[in-house]
Amino acid sequence: MFRLNLKIALRNLWKYKGYTAINIVGLSIGLAGCLLIFIFLKFQLSFDKSEEKRDRIYRVVSSWVYPEGEFFTSGVPIPLIPAMRNDFSEFEKVAAVHQGGGILKIRNEEGGADIKLKQDIFYVEPQFFEIFKIEWLSGKPEQALSQPNMVTLSEKTAVKYFGNWRNAIGKSIRYDNKADYKVTGVFKDFPENSSFPFKVVFSYASFDDKFGKEWGWVTNRSEGYGLLKEGLKPADLDKPLKQFIDKHYTEKSPAKEKHYFQPLSEVHHDARYSNFRYKTVAYKELIGLGVIGLFLLITACINFVNLATAQAISRSKEVGIRKVMGSRRKQLIVQFLSETALITLISLGFACVLTELVIPKMESLMEINVSFHLFTEPVIFVFMFILIVSVSFLAGLYPALIMSGFSPALAIKNKISSASAGGLGLRKVLVVAQFAITAVLIIATLVVVRQMEYMREKSLGFDTKAISMVNIPGDSLSRLKYEPLRERLLQLPGVHDISLTSAAPISSGNRTISFKYDRRPEDEKTQLNIKMADENYLKTFNLELIAGRNLSKSDTLKEFMVNEQLLKTLGVANPSDAIGKMISLGDGGGERKIVGVVKDFNNMTFKSTISPIAIFSDKHAYAAMAIKMDVKEMMTTIKKVEQEWNAAFPDDVYEAQFLDDNIQNFYKTEQVMGVLFKVFAGVVIFISFIGLFGLVSFIATQKTREIAIRKVLGASTLELVKMLNRSFLWMVLIANLVAWPLAYIFVSKWLNGFVYRIDISIWPFMMAMVLSVVITLITVSLRSYKAANTNPIDALKYE
Amino acid sequence: MIELKNIEKYYANKGVKSYILRHVSTSIKQGEFVSIMGPSGAGKSTLLNILGMLEEPTYGAYEFMGEDVVSLNERKRIELYRNHIGFVFQAYHLIDEMTVAENIEAPLLYKKVSSAERKSRVADVLDRFNMVAKKDLFPNQLSGGQQQLVGIARALVAQPSIILADEPTGNLQSPQALQIMELFKKLNEEENITIIQVTHSEVNAAYGSRILHLLDGVIKEDLSLQQVI
Repeated sequence: MFRLNLKIALRNLWKYKGYTAINIVGLSIGLAGCLLIFIFLKFQLSFDKSEEKRDRIYRVVSSWVYPEGEFFTSGVPIPLIPAMRNDFSEFEKVAAVHQGGGILKIRNEEGGADIKLKQDIFYVEPQFFEIFKIEWLSGKPEQALSQPNMVTLSEKTAVKYFGNWRNAIGKSIRYDNKADYKVTGVFKDFPENSSFPFKVVFSYASFDDKFGKEWGWVTNRSEGYGLLKEGLKPADLDKPLKQFIDKHYTEKSPAKEKHYFQPLSEVHHDARYSNFRYKTVAYKELIGLGVIGLFLLITACINFVNLATAQAISRSKEVGIRKVMGSRRKQLIVQFLSETALITLISLGFACVLTELVIPKMESLMEINVSFHLFTEPVIFVFMFILIVSVSFLAGLYPALIMSGFSPALAIKNKISSASAGGLGLRKVLVVAQFAITAVLIIATLVVVRQMEYMREKSLGFDTKAISMVNIPGDSLSRLKYEPLRERLLQLPGVHDISLTSAAPISSGNRTISFKYDRRPEDEKTQLNIKMADENYLKTFNLELIAGRNLSKSDTLKEFMVNEQLLKTLGVANPSDAIGKMISLGDGGGERKIVGVVKDFNNMTFKSTISPIAIFSDKHAYAAMAIKMDVKEMMTTIKKVEQEWNAAFPDDVYEAQFLDDNIQNFYKTEQVMGVLFKVFAGVVIFISFIGLFGLVSFIATQKTREIAIRKVLGASTLELVKMLNRSFLWMVLIANLVAWPLAYIFVSKWLNGFVYRIDISIWPFMMAMVLSVVITLITVSLRSYKAANTNPIDALKYE
Repeated sequence: MIELKNIEKYYANKGVKSYILRHVSTSIKQGEFVSIMGPSGAGKSTLLNILGMLEEPTYGAYEFMGEDVVSLNERKRIELYRNHIGFVFQAYHLIDEMTVAENIEAPLLYKKVSSAERKSRVADVLDRFNMVAKKDLFPNQLSGGQQQLVGIARALVAQPSIILADEPTGNLQSPQALQIMELFKKLNEEENITIIQVTHSEVNAAYGSRILHLLDGVIKEDLSLQQVI
């Protein structure tokens, strides 16, 4: 029986090749989208999940509550960790980690070239490895990280530096040309889905500031982890935490200090805090992606339901005969459901091929260094099984119920009308739902793309073109070479200007500090964003001076330039009034005069407002050279710059990045979002419209008789095409009306994340409407033209 | 009104030609009531379809009101449908989703008749066919005879000069069939409408003025009814 049914199913699929193709194409694409999204979500959700004690691991994070809001950071003051170890009996283990970075030099003993490279390193307390389980190939963390000048390597890094991890033990690595570190251990690589990209781990004892006492100073390079004792709940920490904060924060400060214990599972997902991978993926984004996947699946299923119910009549005779032969309704339902499952299975096959083809594209889009494969993990089969079952039921159950319910007497006489074969009403609702999904995605895509364009084109208030940021080493010996190098580089043709600075006007690294203005007794309520730069900063970045003068040449803090925003927060109406007023930084620093006011420029992404900024000279803080070049000679110039740089700093590693690229990187997530929306909106539109084509084909076939009658009554082809279009256009219009409020809510929520954003105009909405109307017109007209053009006699033969 | 010269129709299948019509030549004048008769498969319906321009002959010339129809483009043909030809089918072919009145009104819509005139003409026809009470019913609420009446009313409402009827009573019982044939005769005599019908029934054919007997695609007999009597 099963084999017979299978044969009939296959024959039926073959007989209606067109509909089958539409179903399979739609479902394959939908399923492929789901598989891709599943693989991605699974990877993102797998972060730190392999940690044995993950439920008990917490990261301690900080926040400050200012009058204007709460600011969060993943860092903690350096003395907090020892204090926490002392004060919290609730924690079994506490460990500090501090991120550093510098030049590593590894001598090649076989006579080859030495390895010299810039590398992120981590100072880690041995307790860390009691909290996180990592297998050690050689050495034990308690010993290997116990003393200063000890370094341990991950397996891959050890192989990279020494050829073989066994060779690494006992060798020495020179760090920043200052000290030699002895390799005392090798551990297995941290997995790619771990929040800890540890490759080179120094003993915490080697960290210069390990006994730091400054509670008021925090960087997100210092983090602390704790392992909660078994049986305790996070709520048990509330009271001791409050006591802890009261005990250690005794000094008066403009902000209220706070700490939280963040569960390990949140480290990869809470966008308020950073992590050592500098990449968080908020649950919101993951949910968004999941919803898109669901949309894909639903549109594909709707196609299926529509086409299957549409086709039902042509199978009514089979149903009638089977019933007369003694088939029960349940058996028919099972038969139709297994046909759906068969189609789903075929589609899944195609979907797998499609997924494998698209995976490399996804990897490069998401910038993940993991190579995914469809079948590496068994859980994908479970997911596929769930997909098949749910799609078969979602898509197949309704048509199966309809078809199996035909009365055999009518069915055999071919008297099943379209009305009894599953109401046209339901089909209409489904089409409207499908169009509404499509319209929401079109609108969202248009808005996301527009906002991205806006951000690309909106002026930041300074030049970004053809400016390269080149790192400079910060030791005292190198500082002496700044000026000579600058002079030499300025000689190069194609170099316009060079400024030594701590950071570009826009930068992800922002330093803030408390300050006093105009000898007022109290610190100001807001924090001051400081940028250290020489007198060439204005010219290099083409910043506009609106009052006063530029900084004069100096190696140390001598005078300030401030931005308009600072004056606004201080309540100074006229910029020239601020000239000559005094500012003092932090606690007890000397007073200096304001000499200039610059026009506001965006110092952070468009997601944030412009901060109050002060610019001043301080040679010790310079970290980069901003080189403004001639656009045409950029590529040749940058090569020469590199040569000069290497000659000046032979022991360091040259790093340069164009400011434009740098800025683009701030919007990586948004760009990925944009690409995803474009792709998935395209896919959903495609699926919807092949479905529409199928449905129109069916309706045209069903209405052949009516069309023929109308034709002999004198209707022209054009009039018939119009007639067939009318009902679909109504559906599209209704769908758009349904979609608009949904899209509005979604889009305005997304745009609210930006301080500088486009206004929501009616245009994306109109565009979505026009686009869907036009596509519908084309689809329906194509098919109905053919129907209207057939010879009526074929339809009007005796019945 | 209608001139057929040497009309041939065949289907070629794997090199074998199967003829439906051979050397059919005849002319039909305005006001004639012609019945096409013959056994099944003789080509009656094909001939009627060719006359109604629903099929094209393989060879031969066909003039309708002095116009060569074979080379007519679609727009001209539609014009002829709108203004001169009314069809009546064996299976009635009413549009199921429309009421009686709407079905009758449909051809007028395509003729771009004004709304007021449409209303009066439909009312007129309903009145004439005694169907005013049924005007808001749907086709499936009517008997076969009533449906065919609607079909004829629909063919008439556009005031055609010729009605082509393919076994108009084939699905009806005889009292109803007689009623339909009486109606045709009346239309033919009183309004001088040309009627061409395909029929199996001698009785029905007797209402007409002329009979074309087809056998295997060839006109065997062309009788004027006076000769029969």
